[in-house]
Amino acid sequence: MRCLDPRLKRRDWLRLSAAGLLSAARVPWFESLVTADIQRPRGKSCILLWMDGGPSQQHTFDPKPNGEFKSTATSVPGIQIVEQLPQLAQCMDDLVIVRSMTTAINGHYDAKYFLHTGHKRTTAFEHPAIGCIASSQIGLPDDDMPAFVTIDAGFDRPDGGRLYRSVPAYLGPQHAPLAVNDPQQGLENLAAHGDDIDARLKLLAGSERRFAQRQTLPAVSAKQAAFDRAVRLMHSPRSRAFQLEHEPAGIREMYGEHKFGQSCLLARRLVESGVSFVEVIHRGWDDHNGAARPVAARAPWMDAGMAALIRDLKVRGLLDDTLVVWMGEFGRTPGDGNGHFSKAWSSVWAGGGLKTGQVIGKTSEGGKQPGGEIAERPVSTADFTATLCLALGIDIHQEFLAPGSRPVPLVEKNAKPIVEMLG
Amino acid sequence: MCGAPSHAGVLRPVLVLILAGFAPAVSADDPLLETDVLPILTKNCMGCHGGLRQQGGLDLRTIPAMLAGGESGAAIVSGDLERSLLWKRIAADEMPAGDDREKLSAADKARIRAWIAAGFPTLAQRQQDADTLLNGDKRHEPREVAQAIDKHLDGFLASAQLEPAPLSDDVEFLRRLYLDLTGRVPTAKQASEFLDSQQADKRESLIDALLATSEFGQQFGRTWRDWICPPELPSTGNAGTQPHQQARAFGDWMGKKFASGAGWDQITREILTVQGAIKDNPQVIFFGVVGQGGKTNPGGTARAVASIFMGVQLKCAQCHDDPYRDWSQQEHWALAAFFGRSQGDFEKIEIGKGPAKQSGQIAIPGNAFKNAGTTVPAAFLRGQPLQAKDVPDLRTPLVDWLTARDNPYFARAFANRLWFQLFARGIVNPIDDNRALNPPSHPGLMGLLADEFAASGFDVKHLVRCLCRSTAYQRTSTPVPGTDAVRRVAITTAFGRMPLRVMTADMLHESLKLAYGEPQLDLRSGGKVNTTGMAATVGDALLEFHRRFGTNEEDRTDFTHGVAQMLTLINHPRLLGDSKSLAEFLKNTPDASPTQVIEWLYLSTLSRRPTAEEQREADEYLAETPDRAQAYRGVLWMLVNRSEYILVR
Repeated sequence: MRCLDPRLKRRDWLRLSAAGLLSAARVPWFESLVTADIQRPRGKSCILLWMDGGPSQQHTFDPKPNGEFKSTATSVPGIQIVEQLPQLAQCMDDLVIVRSMTTAINGHYDAKYFLHTGHKRTTAFEHPAIGCIASSQIGLPDDDMPAFVTIDAGFDRPDGGRLYRSVPAYLGPQHAPLAVNDPQQGLENLAAHGDDIDARLKLLAGSERRFAQRQTLPAVSAKQAAFDRAVRLMHSPRSRAFQLEHEPAGIREMYGEHKFGQSCLLARRLVESGVSFVEVIHRGWDDHNGAARPVAARAPWMDAGMAALIRDLKVRGLLDDTLVVWMGEFGRTPGDGNGHFSKAWSSVWAGGGLKTGQVIGKTSEGGKQPGGEIAERPVSTADFTATLCLALGIDIHQEFLAPGSRPVPLVEKNAKPIVEMLG
Repeated sequence: MCGAPSHAGVLRPVLVLILAGFAPAVSADDPLLETDVLPILTKNCMGCHGGLRQQGGLDLRTIPAMLAGGESGAAIVSGDLERSLLWKRIAADEMPAGDDREKLSAADKARIRAWIAAGFPTLAQRQQDADTLLNGDKRHEPREVAQAIDKHLDGFLASAQLEPAPLSDDVEFLRRLYLDLTGRVPTAKQASEFLDSQQADKRESLIDALLATSEFGQQFGRTWRDWICPPELPSTGNAGTQPHQQARAFGDWMGKKFASGAGWDQITREILTVQGAIKDNPQVIFFGVVGQGGKTNPGGTARAVASIFMGVQLKCAQCHDDPYRDWSQQEHWALAAFFGRSQGDFEKIEIGKGPAKQSGQIAIPGNAFKNAGTTVPAAFLRGQPLQAKDVPDLRTPLVDWLTARDNPYFARAFANRLWFQLFARGIVNPIDDNRALNPPSHPGLMGLLADEFAASGFDVKHLVRCLCRSTAYQRTSTPVPGTDAVRRVAITTAFGRMPLRVMTADMLHESLKLAYGEPQLDLRSGGKVNTTGMAATVGDALLEFHRRFGTNEEDRTDFTHGVAQMLTLINHPRLLGDSKSLAEFLKNTPDASPTQVIEWLYLSTLSRRPTAEEQREADEYLAETPDRAQAYRGVLWMLVNRSEYILVR
């Protein structure tokens, strides 16, 4: 894709598009931009790119001199990533690589839980997932669109343990995610079936009104409110955000044909239309037979999808208000990436007004196993969660009351947020 | 929603009102330990002065521990605020310690102050001599028990000056009873037969008839399956296969036991002492799901046995003494020790193997927060240590103790869960938090039900029959006009009105199956093999239905469905498709008029006939819709999308 001037602001883009100066921008895109002028009263939105199973850091963002993958220079002098990710290398100005994640848990499900909630799994009760926390803290109140959407970007091998499902736990069911099971199909059951939906809704309305008048009870108002939200979403022009077919072919191609790229595109459309938190889940990174071959195969679509997302957000003036995070539940053993490795691994952050174009932390270089240790600035799960919350504008000094009257802090109290990357 | 202490808030006014009647010596305004003081201490103090940590040597979980105090002296001295260090420290904002901690509000301080000044009044003191009204040594006629239940509740309501709701009408009772006892709405025929019957005791007859069906067993089997097996089961191996089929087989197995009239003691014994392979013994899965990662685990088993069969929460005591409740880590592992020499997974259970090196004792595992490696001998909860340690299967003496007629936990736990199942609220809440400092809202009633259940030989159908015959069960859920929300909640909490509940996933599934005439209803989207990950059982429509329409296990009145569920009901093609039941009705009734068809559809879904207004609206819709078949599909769609459909009145 042509490198657009990053200083081009959204309004300028609109003006240029309207004037026909940018041939790629056809009418549908123009329209979606107009309807998408969402004012966020609080916080930022977030797109979490979850590589389920645990991607190898040395085959992605923390290459080593004698590693299996060669490294390449990026747009930031002195920072290198693997050569399999050339487009992301050119986005390095807009990225922060955290190379010193150290998170203690090597089992898939427990680690997914830990990284999603900021708390270790207990038998006593469940903790809310970060997407649900974001929904409760920075979701747009009373909006047509849901606050939290998950997108299933498919899988390429049936491994990696049980899938983690985001639950709102004690935050309340209104903060549960709305799941898109296939980005190409959009949201299930969004479109009315049959051509007489209005007549049927009218038939329903009278009896519902009478029932609510007699049964003045919370369950009735909750049911009718959920029903009304569903109908409102069905009828909202913004629900078109769920349908990729409204996107110009050029843009769809830019994100790549793979389900992951199309999920990134869908995530952008959703954030643009008011969704606060989108989690794109791609499964199958549990590369027990060596990471080199499978990651080499995944790199082209991952590179294209994620780089397109970052550039597209930037062009639209949305990147400062949208945080993008790429990660899994842990990394993989240094060298071949065969095993689970929570001791020293990488997450990648973009946008969100962070101080980008830098690397946080460092893994060891020398020794018998380069990358086997954290050399600088360890980032624990608590540190990670605190940083994520702060970047999104969520107050981390909050406590919730879990079942059994147990007060649970939003973030472990000993958390040390990565202040050096917060804007 | 967020697990606030059970008696706080809405129940408080009710309890205050009744206490004024029961205990004239105590002012109704005196704060009580359980309802007023413990919630404050739990939230603000017990994190550092409880079971987990005892800073300054102080434990605030019980009155004796408070009297004993810590290094600086007694925390509380009756009627003496000056010498009560708890009060002094809180009053001076020295506690909670630290500049970043929120101090107690003026209202909370006032409660603590008044409670100490009044000499530590407790709810438990008032409940000590609660009369159960019936002789606990023998079994009674269901009519007598139902009357005693109502006497308990009516006495409570009267002393609290709360007006109970009127009786339900036949429609409401019919639909509620079918859903509770068979897990589905009645068919049109079953509904019209009951509604048209002039028999004076038709409600009693229907209770008896439904208790005699196999569907009664299935519904109770599903209910207990869901209590035992979490919605997302632990998986085996890296590929993460979840044994949902096996969990369903377990529910079916329990269902057959319930239907056959097996006693709860017998069913419990067959679960807890199972040996062998799952193909012959579906209950083997119990040990798999309550263990860890699909394998047996003595600690997990102990916690499940405590919660399910004893109504006691030992969750926190796994790793350390419970910070807020008076359960010790020792007690948790003493119960776990009974399961130290049986081992298995989802497939089988074997005796004589297991993590315990020696029969009758167990070492606290290395990952426990405290006391790792300490050996704990088997002991009955709050009872004697196990004497005979050389029996081949230690689970047998545990079940002997558990199912003994005078066991303080077993009958109460079942009776309380059954009450919760039918009334959406336990007599003890949460339903598995039975302990001295969390007393029942109706102590006499709790005692009555436990005694009757034990005296009947743990006869499940008998207890169900007693409860369903009570006026309490048969009251309406419709709010009385003019009653404000606070009063309505107080009446409902005191069981003077039936709460409005949300259909469980199984109730909705079974009822929709009936409406559409399908053996199974597949509400997944077309062309998808696996929507939720490789962990899911591919192609399992029922599992997806459960995931989508699962409800709040703790609060059945809580409508938790959101946009995804509503969109499914509104737009899923199947729910706008043909109903095989309707086709059959039309085939058997070829000359049915549109009015009769509409009536049949109402009876099949809402268990009643349409009102004149509803009939008129349906006629208008039919007139606008030239295609008759399409119009009927539209009416059925409207009925299953009604609030009245998905809610249990």
